[in-house]
Amino acid sequence: MKRRITENLDIDTGSLTWHCHRCGGALGPASANYKQGCLIDARDPREVWRPLIEEEYNFSYDPEWMRLVEYYCPGCGTLIELDVLPPGHPIPHDIELDLAQLAKKPAAEEE
Amino acid sequence: MTSSAALEIPEYLRVRPIEVSPATVIGWTRPEPIGELDRSCLEALRPGDYEIYDEKLANYLDEAREIFIRSGVSGMLRSGDLIVAVYTANGDLASASAGTYLHCVTAMLPIKFVLHAYLGEPTVLVREGDIFYANEARYGGIHNPDQMAFMPVFHDGELIAWTAALAHQPETGAVEPGGMPLSARTRDDEGMKLTPIKIGENYRIRRDLLDMVVNFIGRAPRMQAIDTRARVTGADRLRRRVQQIAAERGNGFVRGLLRELVVRAEQAARRRVAQWNDGVYRTAVFCDTIGRETGLLRASLAAIKKGDTITFDFTGTSPENDSSYNCFPHVVAAHAATFLYAYAFHDLPVSNGLLAVFDWVIPQGTIFNASPNAAISNAPLVNCLTLAAIPKVMAQMLYDSPSRELIGACNGNTTGPVVFSGRNQYGIPVAEVDAAPMNTEGQGARSDLDGVDAYGFPWAHAGRAPDVEETETEYQVLRLYFRLRGDNAGFGMRRGGAGSETALAVRHVDAMPWNQRSRNAKITCALGLFGGYPSSSCFGIHVRGTNLWEKMARGDPDVPANTVELATRRAIAGEYRFEHPSRPRRIGMNGDLIVHLSGGGGGYGDALLRDPGDVVRDLKCGAISDWTARNVYRVELDPATHEVDAVATERLRAQARRERLRRGRPWKEFIAEWSKLRPSDEALGHFGSWPEGTPDPGKVRSWL
Repeated sequence: MKRRITENLDIDTGSLTWHCHRCGGALGPASANYKQGCLIDARDPREVWRPLIEEEYNFSYDPEWMRLVEYYCPGCGTLIELDVLPPGHPIPHDIELDLAQLAKKPAAEEE
Repeated sequence: MTSSAALEIPEYLRVRPIEVSPATVIGWTRPEPIGELDRSCLEALRPGDYEIYDEKLANYLDEAREIFIRSGVSGMLRSGDLIVAVYTANGDLASASAGTYLHCVTAMLPIKFVLHAYLGEPTVLVREGDIFYANEARYGGIHNPDQMAFMPVFHDGELIAWTAALAHQPETGAVEPGGMPLSARTRDDEGMKLTPIKIGENYRIRRDLLDMVVNFIGRAPRMQAIDTRARVTGADRLRRRVQQIAAERGNGFVRGLLRELVVRAEQAARRRVAQWNDGVYRTAVFCDTIGRETGLLRASLAAIKKGDTITFDFTGTSPENDSSYNCFPHVVAAHAATFLYAYAFHDLPVSNGLLAVFDWVIPQGTIFNASPNAAISNAPLVNCLTLAAIPKVMAQMLYDSPSRELIGACNGNTTGPVVFSGRNQYGIPVAEVDAAPMNTEGQGARSDLDGVDAYGFPWAHAGRAPDVEETETEYQVLRLYFRLRGDNAGFGMRRGGAGSETALAVRHVDAMPWNQRSRNAKITCALGLFGGYPSSSCFGIHVRGTNLWEKMARGDPDVPANTVELATRRAIAGEYRFEHPSRPRRIGMNGDLIVHLSGGGGGYGDALLRDPGDVVRDLKCGAISDWTARNVYRVELDPATHEVDAVATERLRAQARRERLRRGRPWKEFIAEWSKLRPSDEALGHFGSWPEGTPDPGKVRSWL
C-alpha cells in the first residue's frame, strides 16, 4: 500500500521504499533520505530570475550566497523538492518517518 | 529579577514558579495547572454556556480592538499590528482579537510576571483599577517597540481575569529613529525598556508616569502620548465587558468560561497532532543580514513529532552576534505562533491551550537564545528564519493527514520597512514606519490554491496597509508608485502571491532622516514547498539629486510607473544606488527617491505542472513576464493574443524534463563536487565555522 507523504512523494508501506508520486519510480529505502535516490542539480539563481541591470543588486540573487538545489525523479524528471542553500551547505535530511507507526496507520482515503 | 513575595497567594492566582530570566520565561507559555476553584467553575458550566459566551466574548474583543485602533495614531497601530486579549485570573491566554498572533505568546508573559513577583509584594500589589505597562523583552516581550497596557479585572472584590492591549510603537528613543536600530550593539543602545510597572491606579493613568514614558520618546512625544492612552483605552474597554459578564452570570461563570477556552484548545490540538505521522522533520533556512552588515545567518530546525506532542529543536542555529539581530527563546515561540494560530490550528480558540503540545529546545548562545545584555531590537527580523522554518516542517508533517489543506508555503517574509523621521510638512516631529509595503507582502501558495497577492504582513496577518493619501497628508513624502511586483511571487504549480513595490519621494522638507532594515537580497528565506520556488530578490534603490519635480510639473510621460522601468530606463535623472535593503540611518534630500521592494509568497509544486491557462492569467495581470512564461513555466503562446499552443507547450515541458535528467547528478557524484564549495568570505563573516556554525572565538561577545 502506498501513502502520499508529500505532493511528489509516496511511501510503499509494505516494501518501505520511497516512490515518485507522478511515475511511481523507486527512490530508495524509506529509512534513508529520499534525496539520495534523486538526480540533483545546484542551479544558479540567475537561471530563474534573470538579472535586468548590470549592478551588484540586479533583480536576481547572488550565486556566491545562494543556489537552488533541485531534486529530480530519475524516471520522469519531476521536480520532487528544492532546497535554497549556500554553496556547499550540507543537504538536509528533511523527512525521517517513524516507519513502524506509519505501517500501523489505516489507509488514507485518497490515492 | 527575584520575587520578595510576602503575602499568601491563593491557589487560583498562582503561576508555575520559575527562576525568571530571558531564557526561561518561555516556561510560562504553557497553561497553568487547573486549580480546585477553576475546576469547580468548569464543572458548573451548563450546555450552551460556552458556545454563547465564547461568541459574545469574541465580539467584545473585536469591539475593544476597533476602539484601540481608532484611538491611536502611529502607523503600525493603525494598520492593526496589535492584539487585544483576555486572560484567566492566573494569566493564561483565554481569547484574543489578534492583528498579530505573535502576542498570543508575548503579551501573556508580563502578566504572569506581575502575578509571580508583585501580587504578594507589599510595595506593589495588584488592586482594582490598576493599570500596568511594559515593553521589556527580558520579561516576555519581543522587542521594546512592542508596548502593552494590561489591567486586572476585579468584580465584587475578586480578581477574576486580566485584559491587555499591545501594539508596536515606531519610536523608542534608541540610537536611531524607528525603535529597531541597526547600529545597536548592546541593550543600552535600544532606548526605553520598561519592566512591568504600574502606570495607573483607580482606573486613571498617573500623569507623572505618563510624562516619564513620553520623556523617553523625544523624537515623537505626541505619538507616544496618544498611543499609550490608546493601549489603556483598548484594555479598559475589554475590562468593562468582562465585568459586565460577571455582573450577568457571576464570577464563577467568568472563571469557568475563560478556563474552558484554554482546556478546549489543548484537547483539540492534541487530537489533531495525534493524527499526523510520527517522525523527525528538518530544515535549514538562511537570511543575509546582520545589523548593518550583510552576512549569513542560519536557523536549523528539527521538529520531533511523537503522539500528541511536538518538540521544536533549534540546535545548529547561528551563534549570537554583535548586533541587534538576536532574541530570546519566547520570541521564537511567538513567531512560530503566527503560523500555528493562523494555519494549522486556525479554528481553535485563540488561547494558550494550544501551546501545551509544544516543547522547545533553543540552545544558549545562539541568535535565538542570546545573552541577557544582547541587543535584541531587531528580534522580529532575525525571526524571519522562524517564519520560514516552521511552515516548511509543518507542511512535511501535515501533508499525509486530514490537515493537508492547512499547509502553506512561506509568506513574503521580507518586510523591514523604511522608517522616516524629522519634522513633517507641519513642523511636527515624527518618527514613522512606512506600513504600506510591509502590509502588502504576498501569501505563500497552498496545496490547492495560489497565494493571495498583497495579502498582508507575515508578522500580523490581519494588518492592513494605510491609505496612501492619508500617509501623504500626514508625512513629508509622496508615493510615486505603489503596486504589485511582477515576477516576484514564487513560481510553481501553485504560485505564491505577489508582494508590492513602492517609491517614496522626499517632499515638502529640505531633508528627511530615514533608514530601512530588510533582507532577502542575496539569499532568501521566503521559501516554496515541494518544488515551488521562493520569491524574487528584494533589494533597495536610492536615487539622489533627482529632477522628479520638474518632470512631474512638465507632465513628462516617461515618469516611471514601476521599479523595472525606474531601474532599466532611468528616465529620472540622478545618482542611482542599488544596494542591500538593510540601510542604516542617512539623510534623504528633497526629491530623493527611496524604493522599497516587499516580498512575494513561496510557490508550491513543480512549475512545469502549472496549468498553462493559469500561466496566461499570470501574464495578463502582470504577475509574470513573457520571459518567465517561456523560460520557467515553459509555455508556448502567441505574444499578441496570449493563446496557448498546447502541443508546443507539452513539447517544451518534455524537453525541460529531459534537460533536468541530463543536468542532474546521482547523489554520490553530486555530493563529491558540492561539498567542495563554500559561500563567499563576505557571507561567512559572522557565521562561525563552515558549515558547522561553531562560534568564532574572536567574535564571542565580551560577557559570554
